Amino acid sequence: MKLRTKLTLANLLFKILFISIFVAVTPWLSQRINLYQTDNELIAKREAVIDLIAQYGVEPFITADSENLFASYNILKEEYIVLEQTPLEEYWNYIEVSPRQLGDETIDYRVLNYGFLVDGQSYLLEIGKSLTSIANTEANVRRITWFFLLAFLVISSLFELLYTGAILRPFKILTKKISQTNDPEKFDARPLSTTTSDFQVLDKTLHALMEKINTQIRNEKQITQNISHELLTPVSTLRIKLENVLQDPRLPNKQIAKIEDALQTLYRLKTLVNTLLKIARIESSQYLKNERIELGTLLHQVVEELDHLAKDKHIDVQVLNLENLELKEGNSPLLFSMFYNVVNNAIKNTPEYGRVIIEGLHSTTSQAICIGDNGPGIPADLLPHLFTRFKKQNPADHSGSGLGLAITKAIADFHQIDLKVESAVGEGSRFIFALPAL
Amino acid sequence: MNVLIVEDEQQLAEEMAAYLSKEGFLCEVALTGASASEQIAVNRYDFVLLDLGLPDYEGLDLIAEIRVGNADAALLITTARGAVEDKVKGLDLGADDYLPKPFALMELLSRMKAVARRKFGTASSLLQAGSFTLDLNARTLLHKDQPVTLTKKQFDLLEYLVLNKNKALSRIQLYEHIWGNMLDDQYDSNFIDVHIKNLRKKLKEYDQVDWLTTVRGVGYKADLE
Repeated sequence: MKLRTKLTLANLLFKILFISIFVAVTPWLSQRINLYQTDNELIAKREAVIDLIAQYGVEPFITADSENLFASYNILKEEYIVLEQTPLEEYWNYIEVSPRQLGDETIDYRVLNYGFLVDGQSYLLEIGKSLTSIANTEANVRRITWFFLLAFLVISSLFELLYTGAILRPFKILTKKISQTNDPEKFDARPLSTTTSDFQVLDKTLHALMEKINTQIRNEKQITQNISHELLTPVSTLRIKLENVLQDPRLPNKQIAKIEDALQTLYRLKTLVNTLLKIARIESSQYLKNERIELGTLLHQVVEELDHLAKDKHIDVQVLNLENLELKEGNSPLLFSMFYNVVNNAIKNTPEYGRVIIEGLHSTTSQAICIGDNGPGIPADLLPHLFTRFKKQNPADHSGSGLGLAITKAIADFHQIDLKVESAVGEGSRFIFALPAL
Repeated sequence: MNVLIVEDEQQLAEEMAAYLSKEGFLCEVALTGASASEQIAVNRYDFVLLDLGLPDYEGLDLIAEIRVGNADAALLITTARGAVEDKVKGLDLGADDYLPKPFALMELLSRMKAVARRKFGTASSLLQAGSFTLDLNARTLLHKDQPVTLTKKQFDLLEYLVLNKNKALSRIQLYEHIWGNMLDDQYDSNFIDVHIKNLRKKLKEYDQVDWLTTVRGVGYKADLE
């Protein structure tokens, strides 16, 4: 998941959690607040009524024909005041919720009961406020809160998405730059324009690293060139000298064979150094990779090149389904030698009248080339070391450099070809080259 | 025969390589003087086609290097420099011929063939080997006017042995000159032996090939005249 999405999601989750708690607690809280508010209002009204009575006495409210009772409801029955002359054993002063029957409906009121004495007579003052009206207000407030919170959630999330997007843009550019850099030499060295110091540091560090790698690659190029030149020139000189000695017609056969032996050793030394250098050069990407390569054609050339060896051992080399296998960017001599090595090995390791199959494997998502034989197979304990330099299946085998499969692997890696080996002793081996996705 | 093309102009180098490959040569390309110097020090070539005007290397120095490491190679200088001095100097240092740029690829090929004939001491492009005739231009083998079909590599092998007649060639030399340096890590003496075996079998269908001899401990030789 992208960093931006993760950040926005984390924030959203936190907000939702917070809002949920808030929403869960508000009804209880607002009820409490409302009751408190209502009670305060009721007490204020009581004070006002008591003030009036203190000023004018109870007469304006209670007359003989009013049966010692004064009651006043406002039109919508949201509030009422009742003043009653009644014998009281104690002075009441409390607030409660109590239902009142009014006509055919029952309404819950918050009621303040207050008892007091005027001229030796005890009176009860009741002031009530309908709870429905309180609930209504409450519901309204809650609706507004809900709407507000929802709007907050949407707007803040959108804002965050935009904001993090903008803030993380340099980061996005940086990751894109790295993922597109196959070759450190081709790294885009323009500095990143950002005001975020973390990204500046990241960018600078990356540039420094790339520069370091580039220096190392340049050094390696220089070294490989020097080794090649300095190490192989004496080998070459030695060889010329030995070849000149061979030109002497008076040389006895025994000496000729010895000198020829020395020449072979020199040749092995030359190919060994050459191959090691070649691996180093492939690994440091010193080869060009700029041709579109039709692998079927290439493999047919490899087979043609080795045909005489296969025929000599009566090995049946089959080439199947090699149409439409293509590499967009490749180096054809390198790829040729990669396949040559594996096919040559297959022919060498397969007994007479054996079989070597070179097959294209096509699926909707991937393409691969499989080179299989029905030779003796490779023991399981040797499989992990197959591509290690100088590891030979048969240590007594002196043909080849012991680097064939190491260079094969290096060439495959250079072309982003995934090379795998499957083998079972007695059944044969399969080298599978999975091509990079087109 | 293997050829090293030293040419800093990549397109021209590739064009030359493609053309010469079709004509049966094995080509390697060096785009810089430095890599040419390295390849010359390491590998053996029959031909070196050298552009004298390399930006990174003094061409005349390369000639000296070729004369040390590849004394047998035929050297053909190609250059845009029309200066007579350079031409003379190059030839003095041991270049076999000089081809001013621009040149036609056919012209290059015929010069190379002429140089090869001179080098191997043959006057014509028809080589005699026992009762067989090799036509170096058409790259075909005839037995008393009857064509003998050979694979490309079989012809190359025969041609190289006959051009170097009476000289024992080691398997390594044959491998180097006919298969080049790209696959040298896969060298196997059996490789050449099987080719020679097949070649002998093919030729024996027409006539005895006693002249194609095995030199014990060394390799093969075309014993002619």
